[in-house]
Amino acid sequence: MAALLQQMKAAIIDGDPEKATALAQSALDQEMSPLEALEKGFSPGMSVLGDQFEKGEVFLTELLLAEEAMNAAVEVLKPKIAELKAQTQTKGKVVIGVIQGDVHDIGKNIIKLFLSVSGYEVIDLGRDVPVREFIETAQKENADIIAASALMTTTMIYMPELIKQLGERGIRDQFKVMVGGAPVVRSWAEEIGSDGYGRTTSEAIAEADRLVE
Amino acid sequence: MIDFWEIVRRSETGELVKERDFDMRVVRTSKKMVEKYDLKFNPEEVIPSDDAMVDRLFEAAIEYFLTVGIYCTDTERIIKCTRDELEVALNASTDQITWGKGRDQRTQYPRKVEDPRPPFCNFTLVGTPYPEEIFLQAAMSTAKEDLADCFSGGSILHTLGGIEVRSGSPAEVEAAIWDVGKRREAAVRVGHPGKGMYTQVSAAEKADAMIAAARPEFGALDRDGMLMGAIAEMKVDYDRMKKVAFLLRATYPLGGLMGPLMGGYAGGPEGSAINMVAHLFLGRIAFMTEYTNFFPIDIHETCNTTRAMLWLTAMCHQAMARNTHMLHFANTFIAAGPCTDFACYELINHGVTASVSGAALSPAASARNMYPERCTGMEGRIAAEAAHAAALSGMTRKDANALVNKILPKYEDKIKEAPKGQKISQCYDLKSVTPTDEYLELYQQVKKEVGEMGLDYSLVGSRRH
Repeated sequence: MAALLQQMKAAIIDGDPEKATALAQSALDQEMSPLEALEKGFSPGMSVLGDQFEKGEVFLTELLLAEEAMNAAVEVLKPKIAELKAQTQTKGKVVIGVIQGDVHDIGKNIIKLFLSVSGYEVIDLGRDVPVREFIETAQKENADIIAASALMTTTMIYMPELIKQLGERGIRDQFKVMVGGAPVVRSWAEEIGSDGYGRTTSEAIAEADRLVE
Repeated sequence: MIDFWEIVRRSETGELVKERDFDMRVVRTSKKMVEKYDLKFNPEEVIPSDDAMVDRLFEAAIEYFLTVGIYCTDTERIIKCTRDELEVALNASTDQITWGKGRDQRTQYPRKVEDPRPPFCNFTLVGTPYPEEIFLQAAMSTAKEDLADCFSGGSILHTLGGIEVRSGSPAEVEAAIWDVGKRREAAVRVGHPGKGMYTQVSAAEKADAMIAAARPEFGALDRDGMLMGAIAEMKVDYDRMKKVAFLLRATYPLGGLMGPLMGGYAGGPEGSAINMVAHLFLGRIAFMTEYTNFFPIDIHETCNTTRAMLWLTAMCHQAMARNTHMLHFANTFIAAGPCTDFACYELINHGVTASVSGAALSPAASARNMYPERCTGMEGRIAAEAAHAAALSGMTRKDANALVNKILPKYEDKIKEAPKGQKISQCYDLKSVTPTDEYLELYQQVKKEVGEMGLDYSLVGSRRH
């Protein structure tokens, strides 16, 4: 089994969906728990790449190819997915999006990927997301965190509006709010009353972990 | 040449693809092209002199562009064109733009690799936000610079007249109109009333606000430019394309604003270089661009003065200069802020790299373009003087590579901790809009040091672009 788990990790690092599919099937054939295959086989591959991405040793390209391989493995494990879900506790639920008026979404996509890999359930609202949509989705999904990103100074000012509207609706304490993006600095995030801020992916994940503790 | 309305039609009839699937095409195609065209980043040769590799990059970018196409996020369709259509569009592009008017008028021409003519220089604050009270002085700091062939200003910091300037709100339109007026006022105040603006507005994201501001009575001259930005990577939307519909009926030059991310969907330096050159094509096809400003950014360091980013800058501008007659600016993005020796080294390295690689220069975003008020005309001066010095002294790519390699160790290992420097109110006398003695002396020291390393500044100012 140890060798199989190592191969799974390698398939993710190599971004090889065909290999990941075959290995997931082997796991089922050998009656390995799908949870074990994911947690001890495939996921560690993503963790390795995540660390390498932070250090600039690999790029988003490798992360996305790895994610595809991961999705291919999950597809095979689907028959056991109900059982898997019953056993798996996610760290929390995050509603994420690029704030109103802003269409620059690569940073948001990277954070989304890292949150997913780190065990969060992520609901991605995409780009140019109205404040109202963040709030209504978070309520509907019973989210733990609302995460908003911005690239422009004329759009980042919708972030305090988001926090203000949560207060006006009397639901500020139901959600933790995280903000980020190129023009957003920690002091400003604190000034507007945000609960969390991440300049880098690792900072963002650490902040999310702290918020859901 | 392929007609803009044909492009709009293709955005409505092209292949329907989910955005995620398009992103994966970018990922896979860039990876494939890097291997097929044998492109290799050599950290020792920051400014390559390998014409064959440069031309392979250009070919790789063509194949990548024709394979991937341009994604329209509004229709979720891919706009594609043929190689013939692309080549005709590139050939049909203008090979000169005359900016400004009267005695401030300047004409920009394409440059060659190792061109002895100094680069055309646009001094910019790249949308750095300033409070209303000092916005004018910040714009004056760029407009007054001798080597600024054209200029632009900053962005308004959050409020105008006590009203928040939110994207898409009425205040955004008002801020855009105010912005172009203040820029023109800045040019008038420094004695260059006809100096061209390479972009009229930075305070607005939406097309309607930019279009509303583009009127002579608000301060725009006939040949002041307007930029249209692609969405990283290889994407456009209708809001941006609306500006094209307007500009084709107006007198203003059509500008492309391309900020591909190194380390993003297109991968490392090689894939990102392919992706950046392909953005020249995207602009020409989807935006009908006549000039293009490139601000490639390292996804981790948020600047373009690292070893890999200088290589990418050198390769891409050489590829464009050798294979087209289009006008392309290298937009300097540095990690450090004003009035630091760190910033001086970064600015000089980028200026020299762009200059010998056949680019026009657009300096500079300082302090990672993150901190309000931390960008001044001085950064433009430092980069532009280095760029002029390199060109006027006949510097080759090989010489430039040697110089840049001597300067890089002064900052590259510390780039994550780059100092954010001083605000314009700290490093300028805002009454006279002049740099402080501290900043001037700091620059003189660095200039002397870099001069001893081999950059000959003696001819700077003797010839314009």
